[in-house]
Amino acid sequence: MPETTADGHSGGMTSTILSARSLSKRYGASIALNNVDVDIAAGESVAIMGSSGSGKTTLLHTLAGITAPDAGTVHYAGTEVTALNETQRSKLRREAFGFVFQSGLLIPELTAIENVALALMLNGVPRREAEPQAAGWLSHLGLAGMEDRRIGELSGGQAQRVAIARAQVTGAGIVFADEPTGALDSHTSAEVMGALLGATAGRGRTLVLVTHDPTVAALCSRTLYMHDGVLSLSPSAPPAPTQLIPGASGQHAVPSPGMAAHPSAGQFAAGQFTSGQPISGQNWAEQP
Amino acid sequence: MNKFKSMVSILWMLSRPTPGSKAVVALPVVAFALVTALSLIVLAGAMSFFTTPVIDANPDLAGTYQMLAGVALALMVLPLLTLGGSAARLSARRRDERLSTLRLLGGTPALVGAMTVVESTAVAAVGICAGVVLYAAALPAVALISFQGKALGLAALWLNPLLVLATAAALMILAAISATIGLRQVVLSPLGVRTRAKAPTVHWVRFALGAGAAVVLYVLMANLTASGSLAVMIIILCGSFAGGMALLNLVGPFVLKWLAGRGLRKAQTPARLLAARTILESPKAAWRQVSSLSMTSFIAVIAGTGLALLNATAPEGGNAADINLATDMRTGVLITVVASFLLVASSAGVNQAAAILDRSGLYVSLDRLGMPRSVMEAARRRAVMSPVRIVTIGSAAVAAILLFPLTGAAMIFAPLSLVVIACVLASGIALVWLGLAASKPVLGSVLAR
Repeated sequence: MPETTADGHSGGMTSTILSARSLSKRYGASIALNNVDVDIAAGESVAIMGSSGSGKTTLLHTLAGITAPDAGTVHYAGTEVTALNETQRSKLRREAFGFVFQSGLLIPELTAIENVALALMLNGVPRREAEPQAAGWLSHLGLAGMEDRRIGELSGGQAQRVAIARAQVTGAGIVFADEPTGALDSHTSAEVMGALLGATAGRGRTLVLVTHDPTVAALCSRTLYMHDGVLSLSPSAPPAPTQLIPGASGQHAVPSPGMAAHPSAGQFAAGQFTSGQPISGQNWAEQP
Repeated sequence: MNKFKSMVSILWMLSRPTPGSKAVVALPVVAFALVTALSLIVLAGAMSFFTTPVIDANPDLAGTYQMLAGVALALMVLPLLTLGGSAARLSARRRDERLSTLRLLGGTPALVGAMTVVESTAVAAVGICAGVVLYAAALPAVALISFQGKALGLAALWLNPLLVLATAAALMILAAISATIGLRQVVLSPLGVRTRAKAPTVHWVRFALGAGAAVVLYVLMANLTASGSLAVMIIILCGSFAGGMALLNLVGPFVLKWLAGRGLRKAQTPARLLAARTILESPKAAWRQVSSLSMTSFIAVIAGTGLALLNATAPEGGNAADINLATDMRTGVLITVVASFLLVASSAGVNQAAAILDRSGLYVSLDRLGMPRSVMEAARRRAVMSPVRIVTIGSAAVAAILLFPLTGAAMIFAPLSLVVIACVLASGIALVWLGLAASKPVLGSVLAR
């Protein structure tokens, strides 16, 4: 049996794409991250749950290079993110990461297709090449015919699918999502999660997601919990030991019985997204 | 009454500055200080032509000077109103988040709106007081400007304290009105204050009306000398000026929309795309920000051409008073144009600061996505500077076409004066660029939060 890390990641089976060690972050007197270790494998979908103020968004921002930790390191695909300066981190986010936030991500003046194409244009792709790729992704996500609508003319679920298209159009190897369904009703939430998982884990890409919603977390392949800045595998048990060293004894986050009722990432991929080929991070120019 | 009292105490608590809000408070204060100081200086300059020894020495020219002073004063009203309005709107907008808190606590939109107007007016009052001090401090320098060969002198420029108070009161009223208008552009709800999504559209009828008016004006100007009567010529000239300004305001937003639409289709880079979309979002707002520049540019060409021709065609050995009059008119035009450019540059800075604050959430998101700050800056710069260039050059061209026989003559007789006009306009564009650069730290503070 392969060795597992304390954060539930089974080392050896798949390659680790994102790895954090001894992350600490304080905001004044409050501790947002307390010596957090975590490994995330390529192609998995990881949900981070926790109450408000538990530090889950700080962890997501630190892993994504948005926030610099007070101490500790983050490595992404061999690059030490925490050693990069602000401009380099910005470039990494632009080129290698995708983001889906609860709101405020899309530019209201731009049309759906322009919002998606912008991600490619920021990487130097001319608009005449970026827009056909953007249109392909919008179409894949069920938004064909809505390319020229402004964001205000789309529903919440449609706007989130535009954000997913934008996160994926560059061929980002990993997508960070912060409460992507937070502002949606349960039906739309399921649709958006389907689209998100299909576009990421369903295509061999990695998804790291922060959510309050256990239903959303249950759709992911692994769930981690934050309690007062400490990462744990249990939703209710006292925080796990602060030193979550890879190779130490631990356990996988076991799916709850209710989870079986929800489709897996693979099912989403097999259903809505079978037509698309998995895309390597470098081949985004060949996007649909 | 009790409810009102508690609201006032809540407002007082919410008035405390937050970290990073210094620039946001400082900008309206500085803008109002500038508006007040310039208003008082221009007013003092205009009034001096009613009281000074300059006039006593040349009673024949008193009427001409007083009329020109009146015109200069009138020309400053639009840029002053624009800047005052921008400052008040910024002051009102910075309270957006706090306003929704007040709504949650039970404040009615009317009460919350009224409180914001009061608060914005109070911020304006601080700036106005500073402006009065600035006016007094600047007077020794202003007093050195000479008319009819003599310096104006301090004594002529001290305004009656009652007039200073009246000006201050008028500016306070302007601040209150502008803050009210600024608030109308946002929706106050307990769950947040958001900018209204849709901007009014610009109809092509504007362009059709404008084109018709341009033809009428051109015919009038071409036949300017046909009547042979000086009075009729002055009436036609004044009418053409007013008509030209109205024409520019009518056509301006449509032209900006049309050019931004073209820019959008051609845009290949993120900055160009964002800038074109920003202008298209509200061509009227983009026009409002630079409309006083169109007036300045229009005047600079008309007055500059007229003065150039006056100088070039003046008979040798004309009387000293007439020569001085031509010099003074040049000084007057220069002062008006420079002051107007200063005001527009300040407006651009203040408007941009307000725009950054309005969209702070979006800028933070774009930063997280990895959009380089240089791209955000380039988009902002282009969204302002592109209308500035279009307006300055377009208005100058309209003025030159309307006055075509005269501009043609000036090109032949006094080409250097046209170069001077071009340099003044270029400096004006550079000043606006500086005003824009002044709002850069606001974006920095938003992204650093």
